[in-house]
Amino acid sequence: MIQLIHVSKSYDRRVALFDVTMEIEKGEFVLLMGPSGAGKSTLLRMLIGEERPDEGQIFVQGKNVSRLKQSEVPYLRRKIGTVFQDFRLLGKKSVFENVALPLIVQRSSEADIRRKVMEALRAVGVDHKKDQSPNSLSTGEQQRVCIARAIVNGPVVLLADEPTGNLDPERTAELIELFKLINARGTTVVVATHDPHVMKLVNRRVMTLMQGVLIPEQRGGDRVDA
Amino acid sequence: MRWLWYLFRAAWANLRTNRTTTVVAIVTTAFTLACVGIFLLSYVNLRNAAAWLQEDIKIIVYLDDRISGEETRELEGKLKADRMVAGVRYISKEQALGEFRAQFPSDSHLLEGLGENPLPASFIVTPATGYQSPDAVSRWAERARTMAGVAKVDYNQEWIDALAGLIRYIELTAIGVGMILSAAAVTIIGNTIRLALFARREEIEILRLIGATRAFIRIPYFLEGAVLGACGSALALGILKLGFELFRQQISSAGRFQGIENMVSFFPLSMCVAFVAVGMGLGVAGSVVSLRRFGEGRG
Repeated sequence: MIQLIHVSKSYDRRVALFDVTMEIEKGEFVLLMGPSGAGKSTLLRMLIGEERPDEGQIFVQGKNVSRLKQSEVPYLRRKIGTVFQDFRLLGKKSVFENVALPLIVQRSSEADIRRKVMEALRAVGVDHKKDQSPNSLSTGEQQRVCIARAIVNGPVVLLADEPTGNLDPERTAELIELFKLINARGTTVVVATHDPHVMKLVNRRVMTLMQGVLIPEQRGGDRVDA
Repeated sequence: MRWLWYLFRAAWANLRTNRTTTVVAIVTTAFTLACVGIFLLSYVNLRNAAAWLQEDIKIIVYLDDRISGEETRELEGKLKADRMVAGVRYISKEQALGEFRAQFPSDSHLLEGLGENPLPASFIVTPATGYQSPDAVSRWAERARTMAGVAKVDYNQEWIDALAGLIRYIELTAIGVGMILSAAAVTIIGNTIRLALFARREEIEILRLIGATRAFIRIPYFLEGAVLGACGSALALGILKLGFELFRQQISSAGRFQGIENMVSFFPLSMCVAFVAVGMGLGVAGSVVSLRRFGEGRG
């Protein structure tokens, strides 16, 4: 599903990623661990074509993302759901409208939009808040709306960048359960986090980045001091 | 169709969010385009006047005094048979003298001392439709000069040429002023679009990340530019029409230019539509400039 081959990336002289090679299978749930500045966000941005590697190649569903034309990038992003730490929800639009955005840009039919948005909102448990502004929701609820938006068009991959950064331990556990549920439906899930507590909760394959370098794999629950 | 609704609603939201800027942009664009319109209106009216004068052009073929009656009739037949000629009217020496006396009664004594009538007979030639252009008239006059019995060929081309020169001057000025003021309109609209882009930068970023194409992101701003341009140019037309009617009223009441008010005319409907279309085009150009500066459209 996702393959990185000898990928390196630098900003000015600062190395963000160095010679990273990894493979994520279809339907896997992978934790990408590492402290702030380890290169996790850079790696995720590369997977959605937001950044290009200086060296190496990145494949998503067999497509070479590092060589994608700018005009092809939007179509790649439609296959990948992204969950942001800061949610990136539009306060002037309702929860329903926020979640409908990925379907609107794909010119889905009105009936499809209504059906899929309600399905996604139900899946994350905020369907009863569909007419409210995201600003009136709690942090946990806002994160769920963000996840609903990421999964509304049935992506093959779900990427989450520090999704628990703004949540308390209880909400973090709920969120991880939600990711597991999404993963159980066949979506490949990649969660980037620096929170060792998440690793304990997930108990799946863990890839750790340290100063841009990928260190040997562990399994979630084995270690909590990453 | 929600996507289409989304695009129109986004454009409308842009216009509404920056209401004051939108109104200022429309008004300044209107005055800018109205300045261009003044030149355009002068140009159109002068061209109409020139065309009208050109259609009314008469060529006077003066005859040699030594020409016989038989030769005069032969020449008249030749002129009438010419496909470039619509009409021929003969003015005898006596008629010419009569007309001179009628037109200049106070100067008729000038001719009395000369004894014999010095005015030549002539043919007043009206060029056929399609042969009234300055070039065609000039070519025909050259040819007529070589005909037997013709002493001189004259036509009121000089001041038509002068008018054509003035029209060319106004045309060039209109192009120059038009280009400068159009660039100003593009900048005014462009700055308004930039404010809208800035206000919606977060939404643009989200749209990019969830897979919106560059066109999808840009369309609301193109629509906004087009609406600003169209409103600005429509208002400019309104200002011009008001100014034009006031001008016509003024020359009508002045008395000295009676008749001119019926000769001048406002833009025809097709030109009004074209004017608004150009305004829309300038608006879209403003959007393009702003979108490029804003850096929207990165992958």
